[in-house]
Amino acid sequence: MQFPISTAGTFRSGLLALALVRFALAIPTAVAVAAPAEEQDFAALRAETEKVFKDRVTPFFKTYCTDCHGIHKMEGGINFSPTLMSPGVPSSAKTWKQALANVKAHDMPPDDVDKQPTDEERQMFVDWVGTIKFLSPKDPGAFVIRRLTKVEYGNTLRDLFGVDPAVAAELPDEVFGEGYLNTLSPLQSEQYLGIANEVLERILASKDQPPTEAQQRLFGDTPAPDRDLRAAARTVASKLARSAYRRPASKAELDLLVRVFDLAQENKLDYPASLRLMLKAVLVSPQFLFITPEKEPEARQTVAPLDDYQLASRLSYLLWATMPDAELSALADNGTLHEPAVLQSQVKRLLADPRSRALFDGFGAQWLGLIGLESKTFDTAKFPQMTAEMRAAMVDEARLFFDSIVRENRSVVGFVDCDYTFLNGTLAELYGLEKTVTGPEMRKVKLEDANRGGILGMPGILATTSFPNRTSPVKRGVWVLEQVLGEQVPPAPPNVPPLEKQDKKAVEDLTLRQRTELHRTNAVCANCHKILDPIGFGLENFDAIGRWRDQDDTGGAIDAAGELPGEKRFTSPQELKAIIAARKDELARNLTRKLLAYALCRQLEGYDEIVVDELMEAIAKDGYRMQTLISEIVTSYPFVNRRIHEPEALKSNGQ
Amino acid sequence: MVNKFLIDRRTSLKGLGATLALPLLETIGWADSGKGKRVAPPVRLGFMYMPHGVIMDQFWPATAESFLTSPPPALESLQSVLDQCLLMKGISGVPITPFGGAPHALELSTWLTAQLPDADTRNQINIAISADQIAANFVGGFTSLPSLELATMPQTHKENQEGLNEGYYTHCSFRSPTQAVPAETNPRSVLNRLFGKTDQPGQLAKVDPLDRQMLDLVLGGAKDLRRKLSQDDQHKLDEYLDSVRAVERRIAAIEYRQKEAALEKAGVASSKRNSSDSPPIEIKIPEGDKRSEYMQVMCDLTVLAFQTDTTRVSTYIGSTPNGVSYPELGFKDEHHSQTHHENKPEQVAKVAAITAFNIAQFAYMVKKMASLREGDGTLLDNCIMMWGSGLEDGNKHSRENLPFIIAGKGGGTINTGRFLPDTKGNQGDLLTTILACAGIPLDRPIGIATKQIKEMTYNL
Repeated sequence: MQFPISTAGTFRSGLLALALVRFALAIPTAVAVAAPAEEQDFAALRAETEKVFKDRVTPFFKTYCTDCHGIHKMEGGINFSPTLMSPGVPSSAKTWKQALANVKAHDMPPDDVDKQPTDEERQMFVDWVGTIKFLSPKDPGAFVIRRLTKVEYGNTLRDLFGVDPAVAAELPDEVFGEGYLNTLSPLQSEQYLGIANEVLERILASKDQPPTEAQQRLFGDTPAPDRDLRAAARTVASKLARSAYRRPASKAELDLLVRVFDLAQENKLDYPASLRLMLKAVLVSPQFLFITPEKEPEARQTVAPLDDYQLASRLSYLLWATMPDAELSALADNGTLHEPAVLQSQVKRLLADPRSRALFDGFGAQWLGLIGLESKTFDTAKFPQMTAEMRAAMVDEARLFFDSIVRENRSVVGFVDCDYTFLNGTLAELYGLEKTVTGPEMRKVKLEDANRGGILGMPGILATTSFPNRTSPVKRGVWVLEQVLGEQVPPAPPNVPPLEKQDKKAVEDLTLRQRTELHRTNAVCANCHKILDPIGFGLENFDAIGRWRDQDDTGGAIDAAGELPGEKRFTSPQELKAIIAARKDELARNLTRKLLAYALCRQLEGYDEIVVDELMEAIAKDGYRMQTLISEIVTSYPFVNRRIHEPEALKSNGQ
Repeated sequence: MVNKFLIDRRTSLKGLGATLALPLLETIGWADSGKGKRVAPPVRLGFMYMPHGVIMDQFWPATAESFLTSPPPALESLQSVLDQCLLMKGISGVPITPFGGAPHALELSTWLTAQLPDADTRNQINIAISADQIAANFVGGFTSLPSLELATMPQTHKENQEGLNEGYYTHCSFRSPTQAVPAETNPRSVLNRLFGKTDQPGQLAKVDPLDRQMLDLVLGGAKDLRRKLSQDDQHKLDEYLDSVRAVERRIAAIEYRQKEAALEKAGVASSKRNSSDSPPIEIKIPEGDKRSEYMQVMCDLTVLAFQTDTTRVSTYIGSTPNGVSYPELGFKDEHHSQTHHENKPEQVAKVAAITAFNIAQFAYMVKKMASLREGDGTLLDNCIMMWGSGLEDGNKHSRENLPFIIAGKGGGTINTGRFLPDTKGNQGDLLTTILACAGIPLDRPIGIATKQIKEMTYNL
């Protein structure tokens, strides 16, 4: 194995040896899990990536970058030496991304440096970064046992006991999907205990009262005093644990629950009260709060398929935000759920069920940025329309629209380009359709105006990407690039120089567009703003709450014309929409990446990029249909497998 | 004033390391005193946060001399208690390289850690235990609640800066390097948590006596589950075990307090409260959604928790860096957008108003503490309340002179009533000094700290 050790000329030999060992270990791991045919392709791609790295990328960095960003002089805190030594580890990925953005935008090397790469050299580096994924060994990523989110926890209590999910309202709100913290603090543990007490209070009869219906269902009949109470308790425990742990309990787990029963008995509690304490133990157990595996992994296993119980939970919490129902549980019991055809038909079934609105509440609303709309501040003097009803209607519109794409299995392109939406009387005012759509009920409405239809012309989204009192072409531009097309917009550099040196009078007469265009007179700002501002300008016909307008706040005519890279010109939201909608592959890839990260509850990295490539192939073949996209994710390698040990090759420097 | 406790704490001020690891336990147990003995009340630590920095010329006093006589506009609300406050200019923040593009993700998460996240695992939480949690680990066992974490905004912001985990945006308390502590945003839940659902402050939460033993069994059983898990998963399970153990301890503390109360009632033991102490304050949970009323009830809850010795450590994230506006101030603009004011007077005025508003809520809390009698002085005398921001100037994202206000004498350790215009130190030094003043032994300095800031304290 040849690896470009020459690049790290300044490194001590001990570190070099370490790097070599790490890299050498990566290969057997990958070979061990890949199928032979795949393996060959994969090895070829990897070899090519390594060759380009050695022959071209390394000299490129040594020529243009490492004088300032090397071990001796880490300007801006950037040091490429470790990155050049282990190009494929996840900690290098971030450095590559940053370097990529700067090299692409011609921000680096700085203009005042004599040695400048040619455009061809820049492109070479850009292309190579796209192949780094081949350096990652096949790995499903960390599948850390996941705690139920607040929403999932409440829904699960509802399904188990018929209580209102709001019983969990006290738990802290949290981010879910990608960025989910998955930690547990004493505050939460205490709240779990408090909520368990509250649930038991609600569903069980108090002392000497006849048993409630729920009690009857959960505990069965109280055995006669001369019967073996422990044996009866064990039977109850087994039943409770099967549903609450979402898998059969092990012998040790049942022993433990019976010990809790014993504890209650020793303290002279009667049979129902003893079961009550046992049920409380179930509700504060990690097996209830986390999605846990059924069996121990085999010795020295590095990757294991999820067992069918875990898979049922993973699927059910993804699409329903609650525990598996009877059908999913039965398939897990039969051990057939993991079969791709079974899994796919379950995806269809779950999506057809009303509970799948959870996919919007958990994923869609977050993706579309609508989570904070309810409480977002608006200038109510300027926009008295932004009542609670209006905000609710805006979110409902997006939800019903999202659901229609999912349930009717439409192409994801429909998110951007389609001719219908969902309105009620309140929301219709913003569309100028208040004469035809009246009353509080949301209903499907066919749209004649081609500027509308799809998320780019949807009031909730236009409002959420605006300031409280005016539109923000920049915010809208960033939103479309990041949320719709999946591009990474670098944050504004620190110490942004003042945009306007002019006094207030001078800018007073400019339209918002003209003022925003001032970005582009400054070289530092221009690189990014020339891409993101035009998109925002193309949506300037929609005001800060999504109404159509022909003039902006200054009274100047709206100029919605612009140009995107590749000489794509537009003059109206309709034409902008068409340009974005034509970028099908980017739209679908972005949604796939976001949904996969949501499904896995972690950021994507390394091998995941190859998974996304594979998913894209299948999704494109089927016309980018939404259910296909979801099915592909649910049957993908990282969704159905879990990592037991981290591959050596992925461990970071000496840690 | 009989204050054996203070002597020990002063000893601990002499330096970090070995001298700090003094056995302060016996002296800190305020409630443990025998009949007739007067023991100084414990020191309580409070932290309150506002993002985005301040308008500097409206925050820093003109001179050390003018601090008390003509304080700057931002501090007007504190006027009547300035003699019990300490201001220091020159406390620098953690340099955020290599996370230059993440000023806002880091201003809050470095605030009490004085340390940057781990760059290699940036998409997970991996930073350092925060100063408030270090304190809670040490004094938390004496109270029914080890610490209190409050926030005005839910911690649900999602924004990717420099690939850092979104949790960094909204959390400042970390129990361990990998565990962010969620904060409570609902005053009603806070009240329930402090005192049970009795609505009668001063009363203790009810606990089921069997819960502790039941949890103990569950903890034991979890060891069996551990074997089924991968290494990372085991780590997650350990967090669970740790948090359940904390609940067990809390139940034990409540039980202990209940016994103590029963003994007091029977006249067997003396009350920890002196006859001169003020009665517990009343909590009124506001009906509307006015920000000032909301923040004040959170402040009241902190005061009450300290006053009743329900906890000795409290952290209140008064505001977060994302999308927060202050309609009460007569404008709708978001805090963040205004801080990039480019020195335009209109925006500068709005930032100044927001800052003054936040400080006014802190002043409300501090003044209330100053009005409550405790031992030979006031509650504030026995507190160290720190208000501050994670940036100096939100316009430039600078962090050279972080704005902090220290209120309270920390049981006689903090030399207040002064503005020190030329302090040398960083935020780690500040936190290290504060913890030392509260008698918390440290085995190493906090974050980037290299020393204690001696000028803060009385010459010893």
